[in-house]
Amino acid sequence: MGAVNFGYGISAARGMDLDRNDLGPAREIADEVPEFRACIACGGCTATCTAGNLTSFNFRMVHTLVRRGEYAGAYREMNKCMLCGKCRLVCPRGINTRGVVMQIKRKLGDY
Amino acid sequence: MDGLTFYSGFVVPFIVGTSVLFAVIVYKYVRWFARLPRRDKLSVRRGMFSGATVAAAWECLMESLLHRRIWRVNPALGYMHTSFALGWFLLIAVGWIETVAYLGGRFVPLQGHIFFKYFTTELQHGPRWGVNFEAVMDLLLLYVLSGVALALFKRLRSRAMGMRRTTQLRMGDRVAMASLWFIFPMRLLAESFTSGIHGSGGFLTGGLGGVLATVVPAGVMPIAELGAWWGYSIALGVFFVSMPFSRYMHIFTEIPLIFLRRWGVRGEVGREKSFDHFQLEACSRCGICIDPCQMQRDGGMTGVQSVYFIRDRRYNRLSRRMADSCMACGRCEAKCPVGLELDTLRVGSRYTLNNTPSNDRWAYARGGNGRSDIAGASLPSETAQVGYFAGCMTLLSPRILRAMESVFAAAGEDVWWADREGGVCCGRPMKLAGEVDAARDMMKLNEELFRRHGITTLVTSCPICLRVFREDYSLRGIEVLHHSEYFQRLVAGGRISLKAGSERLTYHDPCELGRGCGIYDEPREVLRAVGELAEPSETREEALCCGSSIAGNAIGGVAQTLMGRAVGRAFEATGASCVVTACPLCKKALARGTELPVLDLAEVVERHLMTAADSK
Amino acid sequence: MSSKRIVVIGGGPAGMQAALSLAAGGLKPVIVERAGELGGKLKEWHRLFPSMTEANEVLTRLTGEIAEAGVEVMLHTEVEGIALGEGGAHDGAPNGVVLAEGKKLPAGAVIVASGFDIFDARQKEEYGYHVYDNVFTTVDIERMLNGDKVALSDGTAPRRIAFVHCVGSRDEKVNQRHCSKVCCITAVKQAMELRERFPEAEIYSFYMDIRMFGPGYEELYQQAQQESHINFIRGRVSEASPTIDGRIQIKAEDTLVGRPLKMSVDMVVLAVGMKAAAGNEKLAASCDGLSLAPSGFLAPRDMFTGCVSSGAAGVFYAGTATAPKTIGECIAEGAMAAQRAAEYLKSGAKR
Repeated sequence: MGAVNFGYGISAARGMDLDRNDLGPAREIADEVPEFRACIACGGCTATCTAGNLTSFNFRMVHTLVRRGEYAGAYREMNKCMLCGKCRLVCPRGINTRGVVMQIKRKLGDY
Repeated sequence: MDGLTFYSGFVVPFIVGTSVLFAVIVYKYVRWFARLPRRDKLSVRRGMFSGATVAAAWECLMESLLHRRIWRVNPALGYMHTSFALGWFLLIAVGWIETVAYLGGRFVPLQGHIFFKYFTTELQHGPRWGVNFEAVMDLLLLYVLSGVALALFKRLRSRAMGMRRTTQLRMGDRVAMASLWFIFPMRLLAESFTSGIHGSGGFLTGGLGGVLATVVPAGVMPIAELGAWWGYSIALGVFFVSMPFSRYMHIFTEIPLIFLRRWGVRGEVGREKSFDHFQLEACSRCGICIDPCQMQRDGGMTGVQSVYFIRDRRYNRLSRRMADSCMACGRCEAKCPVGLELDTLRVGSRYTLNNTPSNDRWAYARGGNGRSDIAGASLPSETAQVGYFAGCMTLLSPRILRAMESVFAAAGEDVWWADREGGVCCGRPMKLAGEVDAARDMMKLNEELFRRHGITTLVTSCPICLRVFREDYSLRGIEVLHHSEYFQRLVAGGRISLKAGSERLTYHDPCELGRGCGIYDEPREVLRAVGELAEPSETREEALCCGSSIAGNAIGGVAQTLMGRAVGRAFEATGASCVVTACPLCKKALARGTELPVLDLAEVVERHLMTAADSK
Repeated sequence: MSSKRIVVIGGGPAGMQAALSLAAGGLKPVIVERAGELGGKLKEWHRLFPSMTEANEVLTRLTGEIAEAGVEVMLHTEVEGIALGEGGAHDGAPNGVVLAEGKKLPAGAVIVASGFDIFDARQKEEYGYHVYDNVFTTVDIERMLNGDKVALSDGTAPRRIAFVHCVGSRDEKVNQRHCSKVCCITAVKQAMELRERFPEAEIYSFYMDIRMFGPGYEELYQQAQQESHINFIRGRVSEASPTIDGRIQIKAEDTLVGRPLKMSVDMVVLAVGMKAAAGNEKLAASCDGLSLAPSGFLAPRDMFTGCVSSGAAGVFYAGTATAPKTIGECIAEGAMAAQRAAEYLKSGAKR
């Protein structure tokens, strides 16, 4: 069923194994942008996303996966972001979303 | 003829120091200049034989010697810098004249000029050419010493100098600074000993010499004299060797910087270049950029201001956090006494640290594959000559959009809405983040979009978009206007009329619109037509940033809120009943910072549109 | 006699109950109310969650008892601050309130039941309140229900309705960090009421978290899903924009599916939150010991045994002056504050 988008790198068959995932890089990102931990997954960022209007890009899902230690594809996905900053304006938790994008790209660029 | 020799063992440190200084400076300048792009070299060649050179020489006099701009910001700091620069310069220049006055055209080696007093004790003292050189030189020395005293005081009590913070030092700076402070007191001591022994000297050195001669046993005087001259020479030597590796490099570097700038050489926004070296090393680390920084003043973010950034970049210790911690609001740049392009330098470093290949990453925006096309504007018009690009942020501000609609309708303008259903970002946020290549590709998408629609005028409500359209886009044949300029034209051209009101309004200059694009008057003209305008204490070129600048990628929500509140208070102090701005991002930020209503200029125009009913 | 008098600031449910409890205990309460009649915001409400009791029923019961007990009521009267000085129940403690023009109303104790402000939805500009015709708040809907005229601006019936939760609550962007507690259940209740009126309409509810904290609330939520066919979508609406045919397009992410979502609706209802009353700051500044929480609400002495006490002797709190609360909770606090005030006066009289 092509219409269902399971995000990136995570197929329906594969669950997350938090015993195995290395949360180090996620922690480093959160240290740079502390509000990163404050997300309540409201999806406002994804709803307003300029890039998400044109392509399948889901900032909320990508960074949530990063917080769980699922890094595969995160860099490629974050490169879809135009950094316009609308998400930062709608975020009810005041998260520096653009900072999160840049940190994920810099920290996870090798994945 | 007079048996004068100009050599003594103590001159060695001075000679070595001078040689090292000269070699390093020449090496640096030649290397930096050689690496300038061809375009800049051509520009230098053209400028060299023009009035620009005269203007540069004049600027060197006013700034490198007199430090006029520092005086304007902080007189105490200005006095300190001038006393060192002008005082020392005059000591050298007048010293030179003194040598000539006493010795005529005879060749005197460098150390002969510098240690003139020591080598010329056998000369007849007294005025030459009707000038009492000894008194003049003493006066100059006293002038410099007063600056040294002030500098010491500043180190101890920066607040007393009207500066909330002063800069931190590096090792090279410490050595250079300590030796610099020793130079003039040592010179005073050395000349005083010599004067004391020979009964010469002006009111200062002669006077002190006389005192020394009475307290110091006669047998010790010559040893003390030689020791003092050694000390003076060592201080000079150490200072000269450490100078190119310290902030004192600015003393010389400001001169080539001024000339190059006058000849049309500039930094490149979004890239580091060789010219940056001249800017980095022309920074005296005076710290004037610290106080205007709102991140420091209101946001609680210290240690990241331009002076620290320049220091770290110069010594290759730049961290990403340092490069990213700046709003690029331009407030410090406006105050920099050396006129450094601080925002350009910062964004250039972001390029170095953050840029990655674009890799056609915006292919998705180009349509095809059944996905949306960025040409998907909701009001396509075949005839429209005017395009309106709201900008991403404006799309979150429906009151601005509605106001624009009303104004366009009132003016009878046929408008093509370029991004009503969303579009591609203008690219400036990406560029300011340092991802210049990807930004460039993004810009191309919009350029194509605008060209395809055959518009001749492009209006935008967002100063961020405006600036990038003007600075980076190639939109030949399309005039780009901010809505404030557009409104002002509509009013001036009689296409819309505004009802006058009595409301007291205050206006916030968005950074990208004011300092960024130089647009200060158009919005004010429109506002004066509809109400009374009350300016905040810091306005126009000195206007505050809303705190939410698009360049602030490393600035957290808390700092943004704190800065927003501080700006809000500044507007509340004007007694205005309403804050007006002309940027959707500023509008959102200010609304968080004050209880006063915050409107965009477009909303104000809409409210005051004269309708047919009004004009009856 | 002034030492037996107790000033109750505010004539909403909490204030009325406080006054009634004081009167029942033989004390002399006086209600100082800014508006022209008692009732506070309850006057504007139609029915109360979760029992769908008529708001008017609660209101008239309270106002009737007030009249019966002969409680003194000062209407159209603003309180400027707490009065300080000698002559209260305890030496040096607050001894009344200051009214407009510096007039003093002496009392042995003060109960602050001054309530809350409704969040001004225009501050969330992206939702288009007062920009688009058919964006309403939950307060507007109650008013419409009261007037029995729930309709779009052109008088027609909505075919598609979207409720937006957390407008002016849990939102750093409007300096409203707190949860307003009652808006979730209010939006669920209203969605069900609209379902009754518009059996054919599609009704959606966009939420971040559904907080059903009270007895019967969860049941109501389930009833809304199952029987009233309200579609709950977990995602915050980011913005509303006009469509060419005059409807409103809203955007959100359906976070449970992980995809952005757009939909056109006829009516948007913003579930507005409770904002700390604008007057709290002035009141707190008027008396040592009174302080504000970071949310702007008055801070009680503690959250437990001192939940109706302030830091100042003789000043007590009841209702939404200290935090968002339900009407039932406000009434309970009114009674509790009255009891604490009475104890306070008694301890002073003994001395």
